[in-house]
Amino acid sequence: MGIQIIIQTVSAFLAVVCFGLLLEMPKRYLLDAGVVGGAAWLVYLLTDQWTGSNIMAAFASTLVVACISHMFARLFKAPVTVFLVAGILPVVPGASIYRCVFYVIRSGSSLATFYFIETLQIAGAIAIAIFIMDSIFRLIQDNEKRWKKSRPDGNSGTPG
Amino acid sequence: MNTNLKETIESGAVNDKLLVETAAAAGEIMLVSGAEVYRVEDTVGRILSLAPDRRSENVALGTSLIVTLDRPGDESLTIMRRIRDRSTNLNRVCLVNEVSRRLCAGEMSLQEAQKSLQEIKQDIQYHSWTRAVGYIGVSAFFALLLGGTWREGLGAGLAGVLLAMVCLLTSKARLNDFCINALGAFAVGAGAMAIETWLMPAMDRNAVITGAIMPLVPGVTFTTSIRDILNGDYASGTNRMMEALVVALSVAVGIGTAMFLFSNLTGG
Repeated sequence: MGIQIIIQTVSAFLAVVCFGLLLEMPKRYLLDAGVVGGAAWLVYLLTDQWTGSNIMAAFASTLVVACISHMFARLFKAPVTVFLVAGILPVVPGASIYRCVFYVIRSGSSLATFYFIETLQIAGAIAIAIFIMDSIFRLIQDNEKRWKKSRPDGNSGTPG
Repeated sequence: MNTNLKETIESGAVNDKLLVETAAAAGEIMLVSGAEVYRVEDTVGRILSLAPDRRSENVALGTSLIVTLDRPGDESLTIMRRIRDRSTNLNRVCLVNEVSRRLCAGEMSLQEAQKSLQEIKQDIQYHSWTRAVGYIGVSAFFALLLGGTWREGLGAGLAGVLLAMVCLLTSKARLNDFCINALGAFAVGAGAMAIETWLMPAMDRNAVITGAIMPLVPGVTFTTSIRDILNGDYASGTNRMMEALVVALSVAVGIGTAMFLFSNLTGG
């Protein structure tokens, strides 16, 4: 099982790098984006094993992805989207939407409903995880601004 | 420089028209490149706020962009753009972000900004061969990532070669996206079944197909639509959700047709 996890994580890294070529990822961020994708899938696999729920796994993995993306965005002075889109690629419910529509045209209505709900659940979990991380980082940013503003006043205030 | 720019705008030396045009051009590039709606509105709003004493509004929907600037005592200026072809291009999102940042920090004049936006429109980083490698790599590695063995990886890689050929050939012809996706999916489906039947019977056909259609399926679009809806952008959210469903439909039509034809031709 350990070997399997390593193979899949490396595959996720390479898959995201290759996807970067299709999404016109800026060249200098290709490998960084791959790292985010690998981390995403590693967290996904571990959470999936631990909780047995792919929705929980998508949620946890996106929390990690969004956190790394925000840190990379600040580090490399690039928009967060670049790393975020790359990182959620392995987790995003592309195959579920396809299966949902596939069973709609094959008249398999119970399977179509199943996959439609799965799509909504996974996409919802990802969206909420991104939302939470965005809010946390906005709070940090606002506090930093306030801290920077109040610091000169504080310094001039303390000696007196 | 920043104060200079603002003064020239206030004195009317730089006309409002140029400002609105630049803002619309930036927004258009971002929407065409698949940026989130709130990000587009934020960037366009920042550029418009360079004219401080005027009220400006901009509305970005998935398929259109409206930018307007109210001028006290004068007619208001409005530009509307229809967004037709959309495909994710992260590099352009990055570059427009950089231009708007420098413009608002006063490191760049409006003329320079408009010129660089024109250049960004033409900018392509990766050419056909690199994109082909991308298609093949995504197909093969997604099959492995989803738990396939080396057999599925190899099969999906071969199906990815077919997909890359279809996508690169049809990009020259002026087909619409639905047809391109359906043809690509058809090639993947037919390829996977042919490989299973004649080359590697031990291969899991469904795992190969799932891996190889990954470059086509709209997972990110669907997730972005949910994010837009959670953000309160209901119009663009539902827009994008419909877009995702239609893309998924085109893929399903392609695979379904391939399965139907293949089972009839080889079975009968």
